[in-house]
Amino acid sequence: MSIERQQSTSVKTSLIPIRSAMPWLIACGFLLLLPQFFPSGAGLTIMNQMAITIVFALAYNMLLGQAGMLSFGHAVYMGLGGFFCMHLLNQVEYNQLYLPLPLLPLFGGLFGLIFAFLIGSFSTRRAGTVFAMISLGVGELIAACSIIIVVFFGGEEGVSGDRTMGPQVFGFDFASQLEVYYLTAIWLVLAALGMYLFSRTPIGRIANAVRDNEERAEFLGYSQRNVRWISFCASGFFCGIAGALFAINYEILTEENLNLATSGSILLVTFLGGVGFFVGPVIGAVVFTLLQTVLSLYTEIWQLYLGILFVLTVMFFPFGLTGLIAMHFRPWVLGKAGLLIRPYAKMTVPALVFLFSAVAVMEILFHARHSSIGSEEMNLFGMTINSHSPAPLMIAGGLLLISFFAVRNLAPGLWNAWQDANHQERET
Amino acid sequence: MTGVHQSPAIELRNLHKSFGLAKIIQGVDLAIHQQERHAIIGPNGAGKSTLFNLVTGKYVPTTGGVYLHGQNVSGKKPYQVNRMGLSRSFQITNIFARMTVFENIRCGLLWSMGFRYSFWNLVNRQRKLTDRVDEILQQINLLARRDELAGVLTYAEQRALEIGITIAGGANIIMLDEPTAGMSASETSYMVDLIRKVTEDKTLIIVEHDMGVVFDLADRISVLVYGEIIATDEPQKVRESSAVQEAYLGSAVEEAG
Repeated sequence: MSIERQQSTSVKTSLIPIRSAMPWLIACGFLLLLPQFFPSGAGLTIMNQMAITIVFALAYNMLLGQAGMLSFGHAVYMGLGGFFCMHLLNQVEYNQLYLPLPLLPLFGGLFGLIFAFLIGSFSTRRAGTVFAMISLGVGELIAACSIIIVVFFGGEEGVSGDRTMGPQVFGFDFASQLEVYYLTAIWLVLAALGMYLFSRTPIGRIANAVRDNEERAEFLGYSQRNVRWISFCASGFFCGIAGALFAINYEILTEENLNLATSGSILLVTFLGGVGFFVGPVIGAVVFTLLQTVLSLYTEIWQLYLGILFVLTVMFFPFGLTGLIAMHFRPWVLGKAGLLIRPYAKMTVPALVFLFSAVAVMEILFHARHSSIGSEEMNLFGMTINSHSPAPLMIAGGLLLISFFAVRNLAPGLWNAWQDANHQERET
Repeated sequence: MTGVHQSPAIELRNLHKSFGLAKIIQGVDLAIHQQERHAIIGPNGAGKSTLFNLVTGKYVPTTGGVYLHGQNVSGKKPYQVNRMGLSRSFQITNIFARMTVFENIRCGLLWSMGFRYSFWNLVNRQRKLTDRVDEILQQINLLARRDELAGVLTYAEQRALEIGITIAGGANIIMLDEPTAGMSASETSYMVDLIRKVTEDKTLIIVEHDMGVVFDLADRISVLVYGEIIATDEPQKVRESSAVQEAYLGSAVEEAG
């Protein structure tokens, strides 16, 4: 919100708002340099996955955050965009269709837009629960179709293709991961910029108005239904771009791209990052992808941790991880961020012990219950322990209890420091 | 009254509205002239807000018609009625609390300045739009709070903002639903001046409980009791009418007088 206020005042002073262009330039530079730090195939795969999730989550937030529409079936627009792109790639391969690969996301976007236009024509009539229920129904319907209509969706194997069969662009055939990374990164920036600018247009501002107070917006000359429909179409367009990027990266789309689990996880990603901020979904997508790809290498129960993180976010930080960061903006501006350093430092050790002992308890229990018979040894934080003997569990449990009480004892002090840091002496 | 030869700004013809078995509006006929300041008064539950909602398109009449400059608008949606030049405020403050004061007013201007549903303009780059918003903020004395969130304004400021949003689009018929409800005496007199200023040369229809405000502002008053208009006349005559006094005004008149 404070970012927005800066916006409206800085505009008057300069026509080319350098201050608002800075974050974008930094992001571009960052994307350009990332492969230098993570040149491995796995690194590139994770970064591509992140980029796709960011585009999808940002597009999802055009609805949830900007227009106040909770969709439970948004995988449909990304998935359909992806499937159509897969078929286009096959046309390129078998029927000599002339289509340079870098333009494919544009077509993905158009397909997403077309479906959002058709489905939105009836689903956006009402907001709130009605919209949510219709989106759920349509999501389930399309997911079911994907198994039934084998000609188009390829049944259980899905549709696969080859991205390298198109005409070369500046000598690139996009066989290497790195080339695909840069293609994805360019589209990420274009899509993110497009979505950001959309939020600054008359329709984007009125979408916020309809979100906050649809009745008032109607009495200002705007049909709430049309505003929702247009927002829905715009979101569908960018979802389609994400779908095309998925098709380019993985060269296969399956039923999984359309189903409710995917729709649910994008809601989770967006909420985790924070729906009230433009960058929220970006942060959510980065964290989610890291948890999904990196954490899953270390533990089988990564989804449990993800679930716990999500529940904690909803309960304690309804503005998401971005909200958590933004909360510190005010103490910083007031020059009181220093007041927080000591209480935070005091809290660090007990909180970490609590975190690790909680993880230890869950991992030991999981291993004890689910390991194959005879394998009693497990690896935990670099130690080899016997999950079937009571000692490790008791130690972890004891640490958990102690650290829990330590955290609880320190909490009021932290809370007071937080209040102080946010307190502004009244100016008269 | 001038404008008798023109079609009235608003005309209600034999208007009825029922919710289930409850007949809220039972045959209202009323013509409000252009540039008239017209007040609608009546006891609680008389149907004043329902009448407002019928005129502005929120409700569809059971029978009868609502005519705006001679055009039938019954059954039209609020946004269609608004585009024909009618704008309203709300009894309960109805602003965009999470937006800044500036943005609130801007929302009221976008349609009338032709931006409609466009996604090829950036709102921040529209010098004319920004200037017009600032003009309106100046008019309602909220320029100093331009970049505050609307939700943090004082109650009286929020009511002023509500009126600012209502008049922003340049509608020539303004309907205000209890604009001074819950205000102190000084806030009320400030508000009356504000209303008079911003509705100059416009048709004003106001629902109000404060008789001081009504007699101060209105050219004519309609008294609504149980869904029927029992009198429409100039303030002095309404005050003197025994039927009105009996039905509703009672001591309120003496207080205001």
